[in-house]
Amino acid sequence: MDRFWKSAAFRLSLICGGLVVVSVILLSTAFYFGTVGVLMRGANDKIITAADRLAQSAKSGGAAQVATRIEQLLNDGVDSDTEIYLLADVEGKPVAGNIAMLDDAGSLDRVIDRNVVRNGRPSIGRMLLHRLPDGSLLVVGRDMSDLNEINALIWRAIGIGALLALVLSVVGTVFFRSRIERKIWAIRYAALDIEEAGNLKRRIPVSGESDEFARLSKDLNRMLDRIEHLMTGVRHVSNTIAHNLRTPLGRIRSHLEEALRGQTGDEKLVAAGRFAIIEIDDLITLLDKLLQIAEAELGTRRQIFEPIRLGDLVTNIFELYDAAAEATGVTLNKQIDGNPTIRGDKELLASALANLLDNALKYTGRPALIGVFATQQADRVTLLVHDDGPGIPAPERSNVLQRFYRLDHSQPGYGIGLSIVAAIIHLHEGTLQLEDATPGLIVRMVFPSVESIT
Amino acid sequence: MYFLLIEDDSDTARYICNGLEENGHTVAWCSNGADGLTRATSEPWDLIILDRMLPQKADGLSIIKFLRNNGKMTPILILSALGSLDERVHGLRGGGDDYLAKPFAFPELLARCDALLRRGGMRDDAQELSIADLKLDLRRRCAIRASQPIALQPREFRLLEYLVRHQGQVVTRTMLLEAVWDYHFDPQTNVIDVQISRLRNKIDKNFSPALLHTVRGVGYLIGIHG
Repeated sequence: MDRFWKSAAFRLSLICGGLVVVSVILLSTAFYFGTVGVLMRGANDKIITAADRLAQSAKSGGAAQVATRIEQLLNDGVDSDTEIYLLADVEGKPVAGNIAMLDDAGSLDRVIDRNVVRNGRPSIGRMLLHRLPDGSLLVVGRDMSDLNEINALIWRAIGIGALLALVLSVVGTVFFRSRIERKIWAIRYAALDIEEAGNLKRRIPVSGESDEFARLSKDLNRMLDRIEHLMTGVRHVSNTIAHNLRTPLGRIRSHLEEALRGQTGDEKLVAAGRFAIIEIDDLITLLDKLLQIAEAELGTRRQIFEPIRLGDLVTNIFELYDAAAEATGVTLNKQIDGNPTIRGDKELLASALANLLDNALKYTGRPALIGVFATQQADRVTLLVHDDGPGIPAPERSNVLQRFYRLDHSQPGYGIGLSIVAAIIHLHEGTLQLEDATPGLIVRMVFPSVESIT
Repeated sequence: MYFLLIEDDSDTARYICNGLEENGHTVAWCSNGADGLTRATSEPWDLIILDRMLPQKADGLSIIKFLRNNGKMTPILILSALGSLDERVHGLRGGGDDYLAKPFAFPELLARCDALLRRGGMRDDAQELSIADLKLDLRRRCAIRASQPIALQPREFRLLEYLVRHQGQVVTRTMLLEAVWDYHFDPQTNVIDVQISRLRNKIDKNFSPALLHTVRGVGYLIGIHG
């Protein structure tokens, strides 16, 4: 039973069944008082009125007139199968009426139920006993056999109805519980399989119906798709990080080992130490960049997003790169149409732009032109960075956004600059596209504008 | 100068202590937050170097908060393995004066310590800065050397201003990137070096003596004697 109580489906169905039973009871009560209740009250009223009238005629004409009146009432053919009248003198001898003398007078002047013998047959009567001024006893009443039968009939009907409702709700409870449990089991079974067997490919079977459970299953399946995708990504990233760390670590190790081997002088040791520090600093930079990607992907910095004017952003970053461009004969060009503004993180956006400029300076042949163009359409802000270098061949464009993917192995670097840019743009709910500038590369970034967000 | 170092890792602490002592400073080392807090409040220090994550769940930031709430305005440099932008902002908002992520190069730490120590003596409301025959008019944002005006772009002026404010001190590339451009990322290309050489062309090329010096492997220094 404990197992049943712990089931939410069981409790819900039980509550539902309980409500049905309660409403059946309420309905029956209303029905009962609307029918039997009204009949009973009508009978009482009639008895009281008739008794009052007879008491009045006793005042004007004494017991004799009451007796005559009773005879008349008994013979008028109205209510003759239910009416009860009796007039008994002071000694208790019946003078008129259709019932036998009662054993004792009992309580007077109020409607009571008691057994009587009417026309020689025992029956239950509802009656009012009244002592007339001369001491004789007047009884006015109604035979209740028919009403009691109706009463019993209605009680039986209500009882059967309530019992049926109870049985139905119990059956319904069990049925609903098993049905809901079966649907939930399908989900739990898949979840257990994923958790225990690590089967990330497992999905919840979706029935043809489009009920809540089917929708829930679809949502969960979509979530599982996303988790599987992320897990694959994480595995891939861990693999590549491990792989990419091994090479420089191996380099450092071999240099140090060589310096320590045999009779090498201090000079060689110092050189190896210097080399190791430079390589380690490179690795630290790499880890910082990976952390930057992780930070962008985590999305916590969205909390401190503020309106960023791209014009100012580009101006500031140009003020950092202008000397480097001048020194290498590259022309930096910017064109800002209007006042394009997006919600974002100044530091991260500047870092993205810096990465793109770094790349352009690194890979563009000289002399060269690097242009940044920003404009705002209705609800979109477009930021373009283009150069007139060799560009990226179309089939490689999606690859270069992956971490550690390097197109040109002759240049130093780890191949994560563009992944940082992609992560930052993604954090800003923007899209990143690499296009052909014939010749050169266009990096097209499209963001929602500030107005379209607020 | 008297330094207090609050750092739980003994290797890092030894490395910092040795380095600072070689540079003529006196360093006291505390390996946990409780001792650190006691010594930080009971003795006068010129600078406190504080690790953010200390044993027994003590957060370096709570120490800073306590000190600041009690009116101790000793410059504090936060050292932390938490290098993300968020953590950095958190540390500086929490009352730290500078934030350096581990692992770090010792010259970087030393340069930042020197900058913090010097800050107290530098007047922020000066109208004019000068070194040798180079003068910076801070109101009109222009520079003159040997009575000849030098054409500088606004950002170049800020770069020069920062260097002159820290004259005689080594400043690192990241310090310049943070102070002059307010960026905390690490550019791949040597943008700062190129900025410096352009500035050097403008202020030193036709003049003598040379003022702007490169400190190999560390950064730059402006001074009369390199």
